[in-house]
Amino acid sequence: MPGSDTLGLLMQGLNHVTLQSLVMIGVACVLMYLGIVRKYEPLLLLPIGAGCLLANLPLSPLVAEDGMLRVLYDMGIRNELFPLLIFIGIGALTDFGPLLENPRLVLLGAAGQFGIFLTLLLALLLGFSRPEAASIGIIGAIDGPTSIYVSGLLAPHLLGPITVAAYSYMALVPIILPPIMKLLTTKAERRIRMPYSQRQISRRTRILFPIIVTVLVGTLVPFATPLIGMLMLGNLMKESGVVERLTHASSNEIANAVTLFLGLAIGSTMVGSEFLKPSTLAILVLGIVAFAVDGVAGVLFAKLLNRFSGGQLNPLIGAAGLSAFPMAARVVQRVAHDEDFENFLLMHAMGANAAGQVASVVAGGVLLALMGAA
Amino acid sequence: MGIGGREFVVDVQELDADRFEVAVGEERFEVTLQGDEDLPEARIAPAQVATAATAPAAPKTATLPRTVRPRAAGSSLSALAAPMPGVILELHVKAGDRVERGQPVAVLDAMKMHNLIGAPRAGVIAEVCVAAGQAVGHGDTIVRFGN
Repeated sequence: MPGSDTLGLLMQGLNHVTLQSLVMIGVACVLMYLGIVRKYEPLLLLPIGAGCLLANLPLSPLVAEDGMLRVLYDMGIRNELFPLLIFIGIGALTDFGPLLENPRLVLLGAAGQFGIFLTLLLALLLGFSRPEAASIGIIGAIDGPTSIYVSGLLAPHLLGPITVAAYSYMALVPIILPPIMKLLTTKAERRIRMPYSQRQISRRTRILFPIIVTVLVGTLVPFATPLIGMLMLGNLMKESGVVERLTHASSNEIANAVTLFLGLAIGSTMVGSEFLKPSTLAILVLGIVAFAVDGVAGVLFAKLLNRFSGGQLNPLIGAAGLSAFPMAARVVQRVAHDEDFENFLLMHAMGANAAGQVASVVAGGVLLALMGAA
Repeated sequence: MGIGGREFVVDVQELDADRFEVAVGEERFEVTLQGDEDLPEARIAPAQVATAATAPAAPKTATLPRTVRPRAAGSSLSALAAPMPGVILELHVKAGDRVERGQPVAVLDAMKMHNLIGAPRAGVIAEVCVAAGQAVGHGDTIVRFGN
């Protein structure tokens, strides 16, 4: 007859179910639901949800020492490897052509980062420590890998909620931005047509651009060197045209594999004791504030530029100065096209969007420098 | 107008803000204005010879009448041009179709985004100049309207 010890051993799992772990499994299911049914960034939310589910099962060996999720976390999140690898792929997919055709759009990229700094101040007011506040502010970059990179260095214990906020809000770009854009612009402004600029960008310029940006940004903001370096490496490989295989691998196989590892590892950090805190809720709220402020600042700044350009610039493209590439640009195109079916702002919006990509990385580096990160 | 001592009948038709179709005698050219060039300085790039290959060889450059100024895109466009470079994914019209202004004519894939291209005016499609799957540059003609 089995004794009570045997029964206890067999029922070990059941005995270790806690309310916290049940709630976290619920959170995991919500993330998977958002990814699978609502199609919000499924490539990330599904692995994050799965990682969260697996980490919160009772006595999960996956997060024990040498457990797979722990190994993934140690090999790619703690040392910042995964976000950097993803950045090579992003660089290989980003076309800086529209930005080079219209370099003044770089200003819009800078304006799109305003939310970072406002949110940082708000978070400080709410009582978060400085490194925590900076990590929360970086959600305003609307850039997953940058958020992971910065908060991984400054406040690793907030990595879960910050990553979830960054990626969820990225998926909400088409929902959050249009009302802001419409609220802040008049119908006449939304109908400003910007003809496609036909300036041809030479191959030499396209190749020199990533090198010059790397040297420039790396010298001015050393903390941004890893991010900008990898982003521009990917872009250099793409524009050079001589390492087709590496470009392809970076933006496909490597990015895909790393996305899976990254998602699982981030999900595994979402354990009840760390996640089920009022701070998580505050982070989610502050994140959306950061995002909205980015959009507002971008559009208002574009309106200012429009004044100076004698009414040539459609303020809608200000909303594209975010890092969410190319989603933000597409949203701008859609809103403008809804207003006037003959208006095609896509290329200009792509330029602002590419600028936002670079600017968010620089902003991340500036934050790290301000916090004196090691 | 007289060019090199010979008389030509020159007809200029606006296709786009910076593109004009110029008919010199029986031959047709498409003229694209580069950057800030004004019309009088425009160089003719004979991109498409639409009709009558037997017409006399036309001069390579010509001075366009100063009276032609770009008009705001209106209902008198004779063709629909691609607003940006991309690939034509779908065509919703064929020659002979009657379309209303704004009616979807084609889907243009630019920067991996599907853009619906609407008819700039009501009219009858005279010619569809592209095929699905074809890459187009900025300003390439997608369809021509009949008169």
